[in-house]
Amino acid sequence: MAKPRELKRRIRSVQNTKKITKTMELVSTSKLKRAQDRVVGARPYAQALAEVIGQLYSPELAERFPLLRQPGYTGRGAGVRRAALLLITSNRGLCGAFNANLIREARRRLEELEKQDAHTELHLVGKKGISYFKFTKRNIASQRIDIGDRPTLEHAAELAKPLMERFSNGDLDAVDVVFAKFNSAVSTPPTTLRILPIAAPEKRRSAVNYILKPSAAEILEQLLPLYVQNQMYRALVETAAAEHGARRTAMKNATDAGSDMLTILQRTFNRARQAQITQELAEIVGGAEALKG
Amino acid sequence: MRVSVISAERAVFEGDAEAVVAPAYDGLVGILPRHAPFMTLLGHGVVKIMHTGVPHGTTRLQVAGGFLQVAYDVVRIVARSAAPVAS
Repeated sequence: MAKPRELKRRIRSVQNTKKITKTMELVSTSKLKRAQDRVVGARPYAQALAEVIGQLYSPELAERFPLLRQPGYTGRGAGVRRAALLLITSNRGLCGAFNANLIREARRRLEELEKQDAHTELHLVGKKGISYFKFTKRNIASQRIDIGDRPTLEHAAELAKPLMERFSNGDLDAVDVVFAKFNSAVSTPPTTLRILPIAAPEKRRSAVNYILKPSAAEILEQLLPLYVQNQMYRALVETAAAEHGARRTAMKNATDAGSDMLTILQRTFNRARQAQITQELAEIVGGAEALKG
Repeated sequence: MRVSVISAERAVFEGDAEAVVAPAYDGLVGILPRHAPFMTLLGHGVVKIMHTGVPHGTTRLQVAGGFLQVAYDVVRIVARSAAPVAS
């Protein structure tokens, strides 16, 4: 049986770790709340944009906008030839399998694209993704770690702009984003979203006959890039919220495991102490008996 | 008429108004109740919303980019950025 003193030391160490994980859990909870508000706040805008694009869209117009060009449309052979994949991960760890799941989804998607004979390039956001793909010695087209857990619209614009330009020029046939979809704090499945080409919106010819100023084509020209930018923004915001959700769950599990461990250690310690006392008593009684003898 | 101002990050304003003046891409547009269905691009500038029933009650918002849509007496201003103007 372990010595009481050693047990005492382990109890103290587990207690300290538990305090840390408990605090991190609380921090994540409050950050999650704020990140969640941002996710919800971004929804009306995305909805409004999608709605209006749906109303203005017509197949005749689609041919004029490079951002709507489906792969193989221009007769350069069918399918996707060159694709870009943008993976969003977190900068920090201690959030369970969060980053591992995202990386796995990205690898699956890359394989899928490569199976279709597409040339793929990889863009990374977040330290965890970068260190993984550096480790596997994959070519990384671009990387950045400065976005953190408060992504802004500017960040999204910076990420989306070069990709949109290269897509319009015909350097890319498709752009996918791998991010964590924020369904709720406990459901954040890694998701692949094709942001370019913009999927042809379902035609919702509204009963309203709008006065358009300027023309529908000109309005679309302004709104389509905003739409792409907004999808990028949502991917960033949802991933940030999902990260806090994942960290909270991971830290809660760690705290619970710590409590369980403490109960067992405390019990072992008590038993060891009891055993020692019993033994000492037995020795004293034995000694006394011997003296009487 | 109902007015809502939505920015990329959150819904900024929601309420009833008797007039709205907004900076379109080529100049200011004024919207009064029962305006015909209308859609235009926004430029940069200040949106002025005159509240119903509040004399001299106006909200001013700095907006940039996006669009303005009027239909069924509902004005929707969807801007890339929108923030209250410090008075």
